[in-house]
Amino acid sequence: MKLSTLIFLGFSVVIGLSLLDSYVNNLLSNKVNQNTLFLTNSEAVIRNSSKLHKGIIEMQSAFRGFLLTDERNFLSEYYVGLKAIPALIREQHGLIRGSEIQKTRLDSISELHAQWINYADSLIIAKQNALTNKNTTARYNYLFENKLRKQVGKRLNDKISEIFRAFDRSEYKVRAVRRALLSASIQKTKTYSLIFIILTVGVGLVSSVYIVKLISRRITSMVNLAQSISKGHFTVLNDNKNDELTSLSTSLNIMSTTLSTNFRQLEKRNSELNQFAYVVSHDLKAPIRGIYNVIQWIEEDLENEMSPQMRKYLSIIPQRINRMEDLIHGLLDYARISRDKPLKETVDVGILLKDVTELLVPKNFKVTIGKMPVLHTEKIRLEQVFSNLISNAVKYTKHPDGEISVNCRDIGEVYEFAVSDNGIGIDPKYNSKIFEIFQTLREKHDKESTGIGLAIVKRIIDDQHGTIKVLSAPGKGAAFLFTWAKT
Amino acid sequence: MNNKHILLVEDDELDVISVQRSLRKIDQQYELFTAYNGIEALEMLHNALEKETPLPDVILLDLNMPKMNGVEFLKALRKDDALKHIKVFVMTTSGDESDRKTTEQLGVSGYLIKPLNFNNNDKRTDSMDGFFQFHLRKIFIS
Repeated sequence: MKLSTLIFLGFSVVIGLSLLDSYVNNLLSNKVNQNTLFLTNSEAVIRNSSKLHKGIIEMQSAFRGFLLTDERNFLSEYYVGLKAIPALIREQHGLIRGSEIQKTRLDSISELHAQWINYADSLIIAKQNALTNKNTTARYNYLFENKLRKQVGKRLNDKISEIFRAFDRSEYKVRAVRRALLSASIQKTKTYSLIFIILTVGVGLVSSVYIVKLISRRITSMVNLAQSISKGHFTVLNDNKNDELTSLSTSLNIMSTTLSTNFRQLEKRNSELNQFAYVVSHDLKAPIRGIYNVIQWIEEDLENEMSPQMRKYLSIIPQRINRMEDLIHGLLDYARISRDKPLKETVDVGILLKDVTELLVPKNFKVTIGKMPVLHTEKIRLEQVFSNLISNAVKYTKHPDGEISVNCRDIGEVYEFAVSDNGIGIDPKYNSKIFEIFQTLREKHDKESTGIGLAIVKRIIDDQHGTIKVLSAPGKGAAFLFTWAKT
Repeated sequence: MNNKHILLVEDDELDVISVQRSLRKIDQQYELFTAYNGIEALEMLHNALEKETPLPDVILLDLNMPKMNGVEFLKALRKDDALKHIKVFVMTTSGDESDRKTTEQLGVSGYLIKPLNFNNNDKRTDSMDGFFQFHLRKIFIS
C-alpha cells in the first residue's frame, strides 16, 4: 500500500468516527428533547389539575358561604368558577390526549361537577327568591331539607376529590417515569460521546504511531546506508513495502551499487597505473646503468688516450645519469606509496625529527623542534613526509642564517604539524601547483630539484585522508602545514 | 687444478663484457664460455658431452632471456643425469620472489640480484664491475 494512501486512510477513519459521533449525538439529543417535552407536558397536566381542583373547591366554598351568610358577595367566586372551569377542562383534555384512563377520569369529574352545579344552582336560585320574597322560603326550605341535609352536594364533592386524587396519583407516576427516561437518555448521550471520543483519539493515536514507526525506522536505515556509503561500505537496503519510501531506498541501492562498481573500477585502474609506474621505472634503470658502466670502462681503459676536451664532455654524462636516477627513484617512491602498505609502529616523532634533521640539515642552519607526540603510525611514511619537507626547506633557504622549525598542534582527531623556513618563499599563485608531480618552480637545470618531493608528500597525506597547505609569500619564507591521524 | 671452467648464459652484451672484465681483474685461473640464451647453452653442453670435452664447473645464469629463459634452462639441466651436478649461480635484475623460489627448489649455489642502483655508497658493489668482482670471487672459493 502507498504511504500517502495509508496516511489518507488513517485520517479518513478518524474523520469518519467524528462524523458518526456527531450523528449519534444528534439522535440522542433528539431523544433527550422529546423526553424533556414529555416531562414538561406531564408537569403542565399536574399544574392544571391542581388549578382545576382548586377552582372547583372555591366554587363549593362560595356556594356554602352564600347559603350560610345570605351575602351575595360570596357568589362572585362561584360565577368566576362557572366560566373558568369548562375552559380548564378543555385545556386539560388537550394535554392528556394520549391517556384513555385519565380522559375517562376527567370526563367523570366534568359530569359530577355538572351534577353539582345543577344541585347548587337550584339551591342558590331558591335562596335568592326567598331573600327577595318571604313567601317563597318554602321552596328553599324544601330543597334545604331534602338535598343539602341529605348531603347530596357533599357526596358529589367527595367523589370529585377522590377522582382528582386518582388522577393526580397516576399523573405523578407518569411524571416520575418520564423524569427517569430523561435522565437515562442524558446518561446514554454522555456514555456514547465518551466512547466515541476514546475511539477517535485511540484510532488517531494508533494510526499515527504506526505510520511514524513505519516511516522513521526505514528513514533511519536509509540514513545509516548513506553514512556507510560515505565511509566506503557499499551495502544495500532490503525494503519490500512497495511505497514511496521503497522507491527512495531502491534509488539509494542503485546509487550504492553504481558507486561500488565505479570505486572497484577506479581502484583497479589505480593499481594498474601504480604497477605500470613501478615496472616502467624499474625497466628505465637498466639502460642507464649500462650507460654508466660504459662511461666507467672508457675512463678506466682509455684514460691516457683522452684529450682534456673529451674528458670534460665525458664527465657531464654521470651527472646527468645521477639526475635521471633521482627522477626514476622519485617516480618509484611515488608509485610505491599506494603499492606498499608499511606496518604501523610506535613512533616518537621528536626522535624521528632529530634523526631526519641531523641527516639533511647543514650545520650552519638553526633548527627548532617543538614538543612532539608519540604516535602509532606508518613510520616510513611520516619520515618520508618530514624528509621531503625539510630537504625542501634546506634547498630553498640559501642564505647563511637559515632557520627551520617544526611544530605540532593537537586539533582534536588529528595532529597538525608545521614545517617552516625563512627561505625564498613561494608566490601564492603557485600554491596548488607545487604539489603536482614534476612541477618545480626553479630553473630547469637545477640538478637538485626533481619536482617529485612535494607530490610524494601530497600523495602520502592524501592516502592517510589528511590535508596539506602552504603559507608563504615571496622572500618571507614558507610554512607547510599538514594533518596526521593520531592512530 | 684451479683452472675453473665457467659457462656464462647471458643475452645482455653489457653484462657479458662486465663479467669478462671482472674475471680478468680477479687473480685466478679460468676459462670462460658464453651462450646468449638457454637453447644455445644446452647445445654447447650436449656438444661437450658428445666430444667428451670437459663440462663447465660453474654456470652463471641470467633469468630474462629470449628463446629459452633461465628457469626453463635450469629445469632442463636438472633433468639431465649427465649435467645435473653442475653448480649454478643465478644473476638477475628481477626482484621477483617466485623466480627465487623456483630456482632455489631446482638447486642453485647462489642467487645474485644485480644492482640497479649505483650510488650505494658501497665501494665493493658500487659499479657493475665491482659487483661482479665481489661475487665472482665466491666461485673460486666454492
